[in-house]
Amino acid sequence: MNLASRVAASAPDAPLLELKTIAHRFGGFQVLHDVSFAVPAVGITGLMGPNGSGKTTLFNIISGFLMPMSGAVLFDGRNIRAESVRRRSLDGLVRTFQTPKVFERLTVAENVMVGAFKAGRSGFFAGLAGLPAARREMTEMRARAYETAQRFDLGPVFDHPSPLLTAGQRRLLELARAYQGQPRLLMLDEPSSGLTTTEIEVLITKLKLLAEEGIAILLVSHDMELMGVAQAIHVLNFGRIIASGTMAEVQEDAAVREAYLGV
Amino acid sequence: MLFTQALLAGVTNGFVYALVGLGIAVIFKGSHVINAMQGELAVVGAATAVFAAAIWGLPLWLAVVAGALTGMAIAILVELGPIRALFARRAREESFLLLTVGLGFTFSAGVLYLFGREEHLLPPLGDEVYEVFGAIIREHALWVIGISAALILALRLFYRHTHLGLSMMAASIDPDGAATTGINVRAMRTATFALGGLLAALAGLLVAPLIGVGYQMGPLLTLKGFAAAILGGLSNPLGALVGGLVIGILEAMSIVFVSSGMKDAVALTLLIVIMIFVPDGILGRAGRKGG
Amino acid sequence: MLPNKTSLAPPGIAGELSAQRLRTTRPSAAALSVLALAAGVFLILPMVLERHAVDLLVFCGLYAIAGAGVGFLLGQGGIVNLGQAAFYGIGGYASAYCSARLGWPAPAGIAIGIVLSLAIAALIGQPILRLSGYFLALATLALGIICTNIYFEADFITGGTLGVPGVPKLAVGGVIFDTPEKFYYLVWPIAFATILAMHNLMGSRIGLALQAMRDAPDAAMVMAIDNARLKLWIFMLSSGLGALSGSLFAHYVGFVNVDSFGVDKSILFLLVPVIGGASVPAGVIVGALFIGLVPELLSTLGDIHRVLFGLALVASVVFFPDGLWGLGRDLTGLVRRRSGATRGETTP
Repeated sequence: MNLASRVAASAPDAPLLELKTIAHRFGGFQVLHDVSFAVPAVGITGLMGPNGSGKTTLFNIISGFLMPMSGAVLFDGRNIRAESVRRRSLDGLVRTFQTPKVFERLTVAENVMVGAFKAGRSGFFAGLAGLPAARREMTEMRARAYETAQRFDLGPVFDHPSPLLTAGQRRLLELARAYQGQPRLLMLDEPSSGLTTTEIEVLITKLKLLAEEGIAILLVSHDMELMGVAQAIHVLNFGRIIASGTMAEVQEDAAVREAYLGV
Repeated sequence: MLFTQALLAGVTNGFVYALVGLGIAVIFKGSHVINAMQGELAVVGAATAVFAAAIWGLPLWLAVVAGALTGMAIAILVELGPIRALFARRAREESFLLLTVGLGFTFSAGVLYLFGREEHLLPPLGDEVYEVFGAIIREHALWVIGISAALILALRLFYRHTHLGLSMMAASIDPDGAATTGINVRAMRTATFALGGLLAALAGLLVAPLIGVGYQMGPLLTLKGFAAAILGGLSNPLGALVGGLVIGILEAMSIVFVSSGMKDAVALTLLIVIMIFVPDGILGRAGRKGG
Repeated sequence: MLPNKTSLAPPGIAGELSAQRLRTTRPSAAALSVLALAAGVFLILPMVLERHAVDLLVFCGLYAIAGAGVGFLLGQGGIVNLGQAAFYGIGGYASAYCSARLGWPAPAGIAIGIVLSLAIAALIGQPILRLSGYFLALATLALGIICTNIYFEADFITGGTLGVPGVPKLAVGGVIFDTPEKFYYLVWPIAFATILAMHNLMGSRIGLALQAMRDAPDAAMVMAIDNARLKLWIFMLSSGLGALSGSLFAHYVGFVNVDSFGVDKSILFLLVPVIGGASVPAGVIVGALFIGLVPELLSTLGDIHRVLFGLALVASVVFFPDGLWGLGRDLTGLVRRRSGATRGETTP
């Protein structure tokens, strides 16, 4: 039994996310063969792999942007492989994108407020009529957005147009927005890309705080230092999991070395 | 027989729609702009020829050339002016759409203002009438089919075997790569529009003797040509022939089996169905690589 | 302490984006006084202008209502709707048929027209709103032409080319709107209410979702926003407004026929937000006034106003994408910056 399963088994609850024999093909090319692993409901899990290993495909399958040809994606024990991205978000599965998809025409405040969309209740007609209940809900959303923005160091730029942010701030904004969506599993796709070393350090701090709050995190990254925050790491190569374990164990693994260094 | 008659009419119209669709596909292939004023350019070409023959007294062949060149010239001006301006500021797709719709509206308004509300007829290429399987076909219709087919063939040869044609294709597939081989990418886009405008004008000139061309015909012709182009695969200009024939024949059949008043509604419903269910065309992805 | 929503951003970029922002700020004293002035002007106009001018303004109001729907689709949904005249026709024919042929009270015809439009928009919208940009626009154009075909053919309701004459004046609650002045005081409050409603929507939770959907649809989905449902709703909103405008048109003019509901009309309705400005609902007012008044001003030159409209559309797209409203806003922003600079720094 590999380490990932051990970590999952030792956790008090069943794993939050479980992949069972996921396979996928693009045209004639088999991108993923028989991928299985589990993500516990607490802690940070990492997914690593060289370019072309199928990380992105796997990520898109888990987040709902792609439906796998075979295999199951279990979230909370339920197979969600055919569920829409939106449905998954309502279940608590929220992802970010390699280049942060910030809403450019909205301010920082408005971006974070969108994160809380799913929790809101005023609909189309209430919006058209400008009902007081709808206005109050917006004020509340804004207040809560401010609290979240402060936690991600975005308080000073709360009403700034988002195109004015630095790369690090954009990443934090995307994170803050995802956090507003009350995620149970937060999936991060190369969150450190485009960031300076300092910004990456800030990111690591924020991720640790999120994990401590009880949000499960699935992290896909090239960055070794960032991966250091993960309790369990799965390494993907040529569409298969070749190793699982802690950072130390994975770094020693022969298969992993061969994949990355050709040694 | 009514059925054969409708079939012949459908095939003739089909070639006209194919020609319009061909122009749309050519412009899309060369610039990724969907030209929503293709039909209006056809109307302008025909109206100019009628005007040149009637008012300036030009001999028919010269008037026709004038019409074709006018269509081409307007398309070139459109590319050099507003299209380039939009590309320069990296405008969104909607802007290009609004632009070509606006230009189409302007052109049809111009035709209305300059030439009035009547339908303009050109003299046909021959007055004979032939009988085929119990149905009647005018000599001009045969000319339409023949000339359209020849144009389609010529286009295929142009894109595959002439320097200009190959350069135009290269410029649209890979602008940066083409630029490094000395191809003037911007000029190629202008050439694309010129070709598209020429095809539009020719379609208008060919169809004018059959049904008469009025200032309001533009949008309908554009949409049917568009249906032909998508059905054949938007990036495959030759597919427009297949698409045009399908649209033309189905439209003609609807006159026989449904009602003549609804023929446009049928053709346009077909367009919507095509866009939803076969947006890549019936030739599919493979069709995209052709042409 | 929750920060007040004062602009902390540099004027240039904020100016461009401010129109898209939530309107959670309280309007300034200057804005309120301009609004009061405008309200005053609006109220007294019919009393000082001659009948013909008021008649034109009524049409401007009708354009504003139908154009508001198209404008909202364009500005908030990025959707180009070239088929609004079809819904204008549904409203027109519903009101004409119900009141002239069936003798029903006016509100019945209006309601039927709106409900019918909403139903058709819901039905057609589901498949075609999945199409992207160009395809969708051309589908709406096709829809418009299909409807004109149907209007021709279904002459048992529409009267074909002869149309439906004898539509009675609008009578609601004992008031008969039989003069342009009375109709003016009916149409424009409806137009203003429409614009206000859209303004409200833009500043609401749904408005936020619309902007998100427009900016980054994938990220919006991840935030549990139902992109397809939102698009359908605003499409239905647009169609309902088209029907409302069409019904009012039928009662005002007293006669409807196919010529009023063709592609030309659809393009006219599109011109309203494109020329007036689509990013802010109020831009529709400017556009409607332009579309309604310019042909009158140029009437001596014959049919040339159509060419001008086409050129205005092209010019708007190329030179001022935010229409005349955007132009006005940029100019006042320019003036404000200049005067601010000469007075020195206004903030510490």
